[in-house]
Amino acid sequence: MNFALTTLRLMCLAWLWPVALLKGSNTQNQRRHKDVYLGENTRHKHGGRIDFKMKKSDSTKSLLIKSEQLLRIEDHDFAMRPGFGGSAIPVGIDVQVESIDSISEVNMDFTMTLYLRHYWQDDRLAFPSSNNKSRTFDARLVKKIWVPDVFFVHSKRSFIHDTTMENIMLRVYPDGNILYSVRITVTALCSMDFSRFPLDTQNCSLELESCWYNRLYINFILRRHIFFFMLQTYFPTMLMVMLSWVSFWIDRRAVPARVSLGITTVLTMSTIITGVSASMPQVSYVKAVDIYLWASFLFVFLSVIEYAAVNYFTTVEEMKKLQKGKLPVSYNASQAMAYDGCFHDDMDVSPFPELPATPSTTRTIPARASSTEPPPTEGTRLWRKRSVGQNLRFIMSNSYMIDSYSRILFPVAYLLFNIIYWCIYS
Amino acid sequence: MMDETKTHEVKSDHLLRVDDHDFTMRPAFAGPAVPVGVDVQVESLDSISEVDMDFTMTLYLRHYWKDERLSFPSKTNKSMTFDGRLVKKIWVPDVFFVHSKRSFIHDTTTENIMIRVYPDGHVLYSLRVTVTSACNMDFSRFPLDTQTCTLELESYAYTDEDLMLYWKSGDESLSTDDKISLSQFLIQKFHTTSRLAFYSSTGWYNRLYINFTLRRHIFFFLLQTYFPATLMVMLSWVSFWIDRRAVPARVSLGITTVLTMSTIITGVNASMPRVSYIKAVDIYLWVSFVFVFLSVLEYAAVNYLTTVHDGTERKLREKPVPCTCDISHTRTMMLDDAYLRPDANGLAGYTQAPVSSEDTADKQAHMVVCLSLANEATPAKKKTLRGFRIIQNTHAIDAYSRMIFPGAFIFFNLIYWSVYC
Repeated sequence: MNFALTTLRLMCLAWLWPVALLKGSNTQNQRRHKDVYLGENTRHKHGGRIDFKMKKSDSTKSLLIKSEQLLRIEDHDFAMRPGFGGSAIPVGIDVQVESIDSISEVNMDFTMTLYLRHYWQDDRLAFPSSNNKSRTFDARLVKKIWVPDVFFVHSKRSFIHDTTMENIMLRVYPDGNILYSVRITVTALCSMDFSRFPLDTQNCSLELESCWYNRLYINFILRRHIFFFMLQTYFPTMLMVMLSWVSFWIDRRAVPARVSLGITTVLTMSTIITGVSASMPQVSYVKAVDIYLWASFLFVFLSVIEYAAVNYFTTVEEMKKLQKGKLPVSYNASQAMAYDGCFHDDMDVSPFPELPATPSTTRTIPARASSTEPPPTEGTRLWRKRSVGQNLRFIMSNSYMIDSYSRILFPVAYLLFNIIYWCIYS
Repeated sequence: MMDETKTHEVKSDHLLRVDDHDFTMRPAFAGPAVPVGVDVQVESLDSISEVDMDFTMTLYLRHYWKDERLSFPSKTNKSMTFDGRLVKKIWVPDVFFVHSKRSFIHDTTTENIMIRVYPDGHVLYSLRVTVTSACNMDFSRFPLDTQTCTLELESYAYTDEDLMLYWKSGDESLSTDDKISLSQFLIQKFHTTSRLAFYSSTGWYNRLYINFTLRRHIFFFLLQTYFPATLMVMLSWVSFWIDRRAVPARVSLGITTVLTMSTIITGVNASMPRVSYIKAVDIYLWVSFVFVFLSVLEYAAVNYLTTVHDGTERKLREKPVPCTCDISHTRTMMLDDAYLRPDANGLAGYTQAPVSSEDTADKQAHMVVCLSLANEATPAKKKTLRGFRIIQNTHAIDAYSRMIFPGAFIFFNLIYWSVYC
C-alpha cells in the first residue's frame, strides 16, 4: 500500500516535472497567465477575486507579449543608462523643425516647434522577433525605461505638447535599437545685434545638451524683409522732408504759412520716430533706422531754422532801409507785419511817395536792377562771385537769396545723404 | 452597511479587468491596424490673429474604436460610462494636432473626458479641447480677403500600419454649433478631408483635416480706414477753392491733411503682421496720401508761379505807375494774412495812366491787393481801368485742379473697387 502510494506520487511528479520544465522556460512571460489559469491569487493586489470566468483570449495575452514582459522591463534597472560603467553610449539626434513661431526683438528670443528624435541602442530592450519588425509604443512606456535627458541650453520656456496624450513615440527594434521622438515647443534666447536694423541679418542658435555630455547646435540665419519698413518708415520720412522743401518756394512774406508748414513737418517726423521706437528694444547703440530718421529730422528742423533766418534778416533789412530813409516816415514795417503778417519790403519799387523830390530815381529802380539793390522779389538770379564777407553782407541785405540757395542746397544734400546711406547699408 | 459597489463586485478594474492586460500596447498588438473613427463637434472659433497668423478653436473630439480586452458580460447590452480617471489605465489613441502652438484639455471642474464602454468592447472616448493652431494667411487682398485655415489631426506614435485614423461619417463627421460666429469674419464652410503624411524618419501616418474658409467683413475697415482717407482727400480739394492769396490757410490745410493721412497709415499697420508685400489697403492709403501730397505741391506751384509772374510783369512794365487802387489799409487787413503787394502795377493790362500820380502822392502807405490773371499776363493786352476793382484771383492751375484732382480720384476708386470686389 505505502509502496503503491509512493509509486503514484513518483509518477505524478514524473508527469509534472517535464510540464514544469516546459512551462518554466517561459516563466517570466507566463507568470500571470499561469496565475489566472490556475486561479491563484499570488500577484493580485486586490485580494480575493471571484470572477474567474475565462474570457476570449486576446492577442496581447495569447502571444504573451505584454510590453513589460516583451521588453523585460522589470528585469533591469532602467534608472541607469545602457552600458553603465562602460564607455559612453552614442545617442544620435535628428530634428525636424515644424515652424518658427515668432521672433521677438523686444524680448530678444525666438519660439520654435520641432520634432526631436533620439536614436540609441539599449541591449536590455532587445526582444526575440521572427519577422524583425519594430514595435511602437506611446508615452506610457517612457516612464519605465531609460531615455536620454536632452535639454535646451538658454531656453526660457519649453514644453512637450500633451494634447490629447503626450506627444511622445517610442519605437523598439528587435536588436535593441530605439527611436524616441518628442514634439517640443521651445522659446530660446538669441542675442540680436540691431546696429543695422532694419537691414540686418540675425544669427540664432538652439543648443541641445545632455548633462555632462556634448553640446549640439542648430544654427539658423535670418534676414529681415525690408519692404515693410520701406513702406512704413522710410517712405513717409522722405515725403516729409520733401514737403519741408515746399516752404522755400512759398513767398517769404507768408510768415504763418511757412512757419506752420515747417513745424507740422517736424511734428510728423517726431511721430514717425516715436512709432518706430515703440516696437524696438531699448538698446544703447544707434540703429541704422535711427540714423536715417534723425538725419531727416535734422533736415526738416533746418528748414524751420532757415525760415527763421530769412525772417530775421528781412527784418534787419527793413530796419536798415527805414534808417536810410527809404521808407515813408509814417510807415511802420513791424506794425504792418503785425497786422497782416506780411512784409511790405519792396519799398524800392513801391508807389509810396517816399521821396517826392526824386520820383525819377524811384522809377528807375524797378526798371533796371542796380548792382546792389535788385528787386527783392526776384529770387532766381545768380550773382557774381564775391568774397565771403561781401557775400554774407549781401545775403543779409537780400534775405530772399537764402531761399533761392536753399531750394538747391537742401535737395542736393538730402540726395547725397541717401546715396551714402544706402550704399553703406545695402 | 454594505454598499452596492462591493456587493455586486462591479469595481471597474475588475469589471473591465484592467489589470489583466497590458494597456501600454494597442489593441490587436502585432496584428492588423486598429481602425479609429473620429468625430468632431466645433464648439467655437475663439479668435483669429493676423499678427500671430493663428486661430484658436474649442471642440469636442470623439474617438471610436474597438478593444476586445475591454468587453464585459452584460445582460442588458447597456454601455458603461466612465470619466477621466480611467484614461490612465486603458489604451487610448494618441491623437495630436499638427502645427498647433498651444493646446489643452479643459480640466474644470475635473478633466473634461468621457469614456463609454460597450459590452462588445467598443469604446467611445470624448474630450473637450482648446487648440491654437497656425494658419498661413495671405494678406495681399487685405481687408477684402478670404482665408482658408486647417486643423490637422494625426496619431503621434502609430503609423498607418498600427492605427488607421478615419472620419467616422465622412463629411458629416464635422458638426458645428449654430451659434458659431466671429466678429470680423463670416465663416463660409467647414469640410473634412484626409490624407497620408510622410515623415522621413518615422514613416506614413494618417492625417485628418478640418478645413474652413473665412471671409472678412469689410464694414469695419470701410468705417475705420477707407472713409477717413477719402474724407481727407476731399478736404485737401477744398484748398483749390480758397483764395490763393490766403497763403497760411491753404498751406496749413494741405499740411494738416498730410499729417492726418500719415496717422491713419500708422494706425492701420499697428495691428498687422509685418509682411513683405503690399496689401490692398496699403495701395488705397498710399494713393490717397499721394493725392493729398500733390495738393500741397500744387499750392506751392501756384504761389511760386504767381510770384514769378508778378515779378516778370513788373520787369516788363515800361512805366511804373503807382497803384490806383484806392483800397484803404483796413480793408486789406480783412483779407487776413494774404500777402500784400504795395505795388499795384501788378495789375495786368490795367493802365494806371488816368490815375495820376497826384493820387499816389496824396496817399501814403496804401496797401492794395492786386493780382493778375495768369492767362492774361501779356503786357500787350491792356484794358482800361474804369475804376478800382479787385480782380479775380483764380489761377489757372487752381481752376484745372478743381476738375483734375476729383476726376482722377474717382477714376482710381472705380479701378480699385472693381479689381478687389
